[in-house]
Amino acid sequence: MGVVDKHSLLESFSVGRGVVKPSRKLYIIEPGNVRRVFEALIEKFGYGGFYLSTIVGTDLRDEGRIRLDYYIVLLPEEETVVLRTFIPRENPVIDSLVDILPGALSGECETHDLLGVVFRGNPFLKRGFFAPRDVVEKGEYPLRKDSGV
Amino acid sequence: MNQVKQSGRAEYRIIRYSPWLVHFNTGACNGCDIEVLAAITPVYDPERFGVKLAPSIRHGDILVVTGAVTKKAAERLKILYDQMPCPKFVIAVGACAIDGGVFSKSYSVVGGVDRVVPVAAYVPGCPPRPEAILDGIVKLLDLIKKGGVVNNGCSGQT
Repeated sequence: MGVVDKHSLLESFSVGRGVVKPSRKLYIIEPGNVRRVFEALIEKFGYGGFYLSTIVGTDLRDEGRIRLDYYIVLLPEEETVVLRTFIPRENPVIDSLVDILPGALSGECETHDLLGVVFRGNPFLKRGFFAPRDVVEKGEYPLRKDSGV
Repeated sequence: MNQVKQSGRAEYRIIRYSPWLVHFNTGACNGCDIEVLAAITPVYDPERFGVKLAPSIRHGDILVVTGAVTKKAAERLKILYDQMPCPKFVIAVGACAIDGGVFSKSYSVVGGVDRVVPVAAYVPGCPPRPEAILDGIVKLLDLIKKGGVVNNGCSGQT
């Protein structure tokens, strides 16, 4: 199974495509489908077929939503692919991956701490993972554009 | 002034010949850390000044701090500093350790090292050259010899 199969699998879930610098393929995915994509990847290609590199969250205040980028690396080709999804800013909830992909732990905890995204099913989420205590006590999420810190 | 000079000479005579360093990163980008590590390689031969890394903070004489001090690292830096035996000195290496550098207004950064512990010498640069770091240490030793460093965090105890 080559890299083409992996791309066609991601293609089947995607609702849009694009390119992220430097020439990384981008697949836009519905937030409800993200967990299903990873389940399908694990089922078809196994844990050795890819790894989750990082999760990047961005607050798009003007659009009223939060952008989540899952950076995955396809193995053994070592090709980086980006899975992008958008969740509403008022109710930022998405399914957790930590029970099927333990490597998602730090990315999910970081995104929760700095942006307030709730990963449903992750028992390790807490404030103060990265944010200093005074920011936590104010109840602010520092990477939100209107946090004021 | 005279009294400070004399007490400085008596207390610090031994450390002048073998200052042992402890290196601590309070949130640096690793640029300064690499230069600190380069400074203790045989290329720059720091042992001609008696400089070497201490095996533990409890054996250290000089604390070399790199990076902007984050709020979480500030607590650890204070704990480390309190564990050092007297007399003890702190060198802030790099622009970030001096006053926070480009991170100075971040929500998670306290500022420079001198907001947390008293600093005896500052080495500017982003990152400073290894020669500059060694030069800072030698200048600090000179200053100790002259009794110029009084704020060393050990008032009353030696």
